[in-house]
Amino acid sequence: MSIVELENINFQYRGSKDGSLVNVNLNIEEGQTVLLCGASGSGKTSIIRLINGLIPHYYSGELAGEVTVAGHDIKQTELHELAGTVGTVFQNPRSQFFSVDTDGEIVFGPENIGLEPKEIKSRMNDVVAEMNLDEILGRSIFDLSGGQKQRIACASVAALLPKIILLDEPSSNLDFDSIELLRGIITEWKRQGKTIVISEHRLWYLKDVADRVIYVENGRLAKEWSGEEFTSLKEDEVKKYKLRPIVLEEELIRQIRGDAASSVCEIQSAIELKDFYFSYKRRPYLLVKKKFKESDGDLLNLNIPELKLPQGKVIGLVGPNGTGKSTFLRCLCGLEGDCKGRIVSDGVTYKGRQRLKICYMVMQDVNHQLFTDSVKSEVMLSMKEEDDKRCDELLNRLGLIEYKDIHPMALSGGQKQRVAIASALASDAKILLFDEPTSGLDYSHMEKVAELLQQLANAGATVIVSTHDPELISECCDFVLGLKHGKVVYLKDNKRER
Amino acid sequence: MENKSNKLKAKDFITIGIFTAILFAVEFAFGMLGYIHPFIVASYVVILPLASGIPMMLFYTKVEKFGMITIVSVLMAIIMFVGGMGYLGAPLIIISGLVADLIAKSGKYKSFKKTVLSFGVFNLWICANYFPILITADAYRQDLIDGGYSAEYVENLFLAINVKTIGILVVLAFAFGCLGAVIGKAAVKKHFEKAGIV
Amino acid sequence: MKLDPRTKLFMIFVVSIIVMMSATTPLLWAIRLAITLIPILLLVFEKKYAVALRFLLAYGTALVLTLFFLSSESEGIVSSLLIGYCGIVVQFMPALITAWYVVRTTKIGEFMSCMQKMHVPDGIAVSLAVVMRFFPTIKEEYSSINDAMRMRGVMLGGGNVIKMVEFRMIPLLFSCVNIGEELSAAAITRGLGGDVKRSSVVELRLGAADYLLMTLLAAATVIFVVFKYFL
Repeated sequence: MSIVELENINFQYRGSKDGSLVNVNLNIEEGQTVLLCGASGSGKTSIIRLINGLIPHYYSGELAGEVTVAGHDIKQTELHELAGTVGTVFQNPRSQFFSVDTDGEIVFGPENIGLEPKEIKSRMNDVVAEMNLDEILGRSIFDLSGGQKQRIACASVAALLPKIILLDEPSSNLDFDSIELLRGIITEWKRQGKTIVISEHRLWYLKDVADRVIYVENGRLAKEWSGEEFTSLKEDEVKKYKLRPIVLEEELIRQIRGDAASSVCEIQSAIELKDFYFSYKRRPYLLVKKKFKESDGDLLNLNIPELKLPQGKVIGLVGPNGTGKSTFLRCLCGLEGDCKGRIVSDGVTYKGRQRLKICYMVMQDVNHQLFTDSVKSEVMLSMKEEDDKRCDELLNRLGLIEYKDIHPMALSGGQKQRVAIASALASDAKILLFDEPTSGLDYSHMEKVAELLQQLANAGATVIVSTHDPELISECCDFVLGLKHGKVVYLKDNKRER
Repeated sequence: MENKSNKLKAKDFITIGIFTAILFAVEFAFGMLGYIHPFIVASYVVILPLASGIPMMLFYTKVEKFGMITIVSVLMAIIMFVGGMGYLGAPLIIISGLVADLIAKSGKYKSFKKTVLSFGVFNLWICANYFPILITADAYRQDLIDGGYSAEYVENLFLAINVKTIGILVVLAFAFGCLGAVIGKAAVKKHFEKAGIV
Repeated sequence: MKLDPRTKLFMIFVVSIIVMMSATTPLLWAIRLAITLIPILLLVFEKKYAVALRFLLAYGTALVLTLFFLSSESEGIVSSLLIGYCGIVVQFMPALITAWYVVRTTKIGEFMSCMQKMHVPDGIAVSLAVVMRFFPTIKEEYSSINDAMRMRGVMLGGGNVIKMVEFRMIPLLFSCVNIGEELSAAAITRGLGGDVKRSSVVELRLGAADYLLMTLLAAATVIFVVFKYFL
């Protein structure tokens, strides 16, 4: 019995060709777990939105065809009527939650549909037990890590006891351990007989979980495999479809978890980092800002007395979330004023604000660093002296010249990133920092980013990229720097085949 | 083919909440400058409309249903009360919001001129801050002095804000509201329309 | 100490009223002080020691300065700046502290349930809840944008006031709009906005502590008014 039926669907968003669907016919039986894979913009998210009703009730466009979910004709059913039937876990943990506290968020759904308090409490207890959420109860969601937030989102959806659960790239912002937990949740839901549809780029954690795998290309359902067929696909076949690998090597896993033998390799021409100590905690009554010292030990979020990094190379920064990677980047480029570390490069010492000048960080959320109304002005903004020719040359190098006068916010995620990189180049920074540049990117976009990072290093910049993405590390990282609890655990030569 | 009803729905209420939060954040940021000198308190009518023009012009394009401005005013009145800024001004705030809403509605929320006028009227809420100074003038004056404010400060304050000047202040609020709307609209066009979000 | 949100709202109301009337005699000042200390005490109960301490220090300093060192004869720029500043602190802090306490200790779910009990229309309750939920988000986004500005060296907009505002406001708005969209989608697919009346896990009930506090506050108000206007 098909619980989801998409019949002859043709869809296009108002004003954009991306994400449109062409002649899609899809029947999903109750209890099946379906994985949708394919490039960004191929239409995976549109399919999810058709099943949960966001198309057509929330996102407008031209829709032809019939969508029936658990007997409801989606076009005729209001979104709130579907709440108890279809639940959706979205990509970004930080913008899904309505409450400020975890308990309130879990019961948000049941409260909305007006259930009795007793029933709500019982559901909440069930969900908390299933997902082992005891430690994060009673806390502010703003204090949670990405992985914890995502688990709360899952709990919040599960509390409505929907028959169908949809997940739209749920692992995008998660580290390895959190993804494992997510897999556990999905497996449990599968065991409970729920119908699950997941749109994803990262495939390895769904191996042996998906019953069907559907490859979406340019709005069409181009290919389908059964779960077993998919698992036994050879590596080059997977690459042919431009999909990320299904199997992760042990070595890579250990690397991205920052679990490797402690060792720091010798570096020839190096950039030296000295006295990088920092802590987010402050003693409340101290009016004078205190200078951090090594002896502060456990209080420190970042504890690096000395570190030599290879110049002109791409260095991957790994370790689980919360271990200090972002802190490291922020302190390095000078954003954390209280961190008084020094950088020594080519004999020159850079302290305090000077670090801001030689470093440039491309943030995880690129939207926060785009300020102007055209790509060209964005790049010029970084230049100390405006130079038209140089700007055009940079734009050309990054494949952005045709977007010169387009507003940066109108570009795709990958393009925005390239604009940020162009701005970085325009600023003549010697040390370029990247915070999770490929989370949520499909394989081909990830490859492009890897290529760019290499180009930047070849041009002489030292590139440090904080990442959970194993494929990125294999593609372009010359070295890998592992952090744990704010301390350097290892620095290894990645010895990749060039 | 969605029914575009004119009733405010959950999505709209959320949008209203978000923009009210932004509005309040902007006003709080600029409002804190106020007590450096009493003249700055009076110049709220200039600074606040100009600063809040951009987010509000974006807001006008987002909901486009009756009630959007009124509810913002109601929320602002509640927030001002909760933040300890009194409740005397509440009626003024809510009424200016309601009138602003009606004006915008008459232009179906799309007419540029009506939107400008609407925002002008909306900004009359700023004068609500001055009510205590006006209505209970003599008592308030005495209160301030007893409360430790210097005679000089009090004199300056009353010079800037009194029954004679309140008319001017109201007009200024309206005028700069309109100006803020024009500037805001330009910013919205430059960025949000160009980026395709509007 | 579990207080009903309605009690907390009443507390804000009382503090607002008392602060509106200026204190002229020592007794009135004492009441004002007491009213300010109550929320600080409550903050301590909630283990928010650092914040409570900071509020206490700020208010205490401003109060001492105002009462003992500055007076209606003070002239000059420094004095008038100080007066202005201390004036605001003394005037607004009590309500601010109370508001801080209320917002920090009231969960959104409780708050919406409270609004429902007070017969506030659902739509307004939702908007108000979103306002509360969004403040920390605005802070986070703004902080991130600020960092980006620092990094690119455009904090002062290149000396241009308009650009200064533009660089801060525009990315913030884009961000908020995006987050708003996702927030709405996530909320609506979980049933917000239905015709069904919202229920609440937390059952709001006025307890002994509530009645005690409300009586205390009401009494304080009455005494204040009586002594100020009638005696």
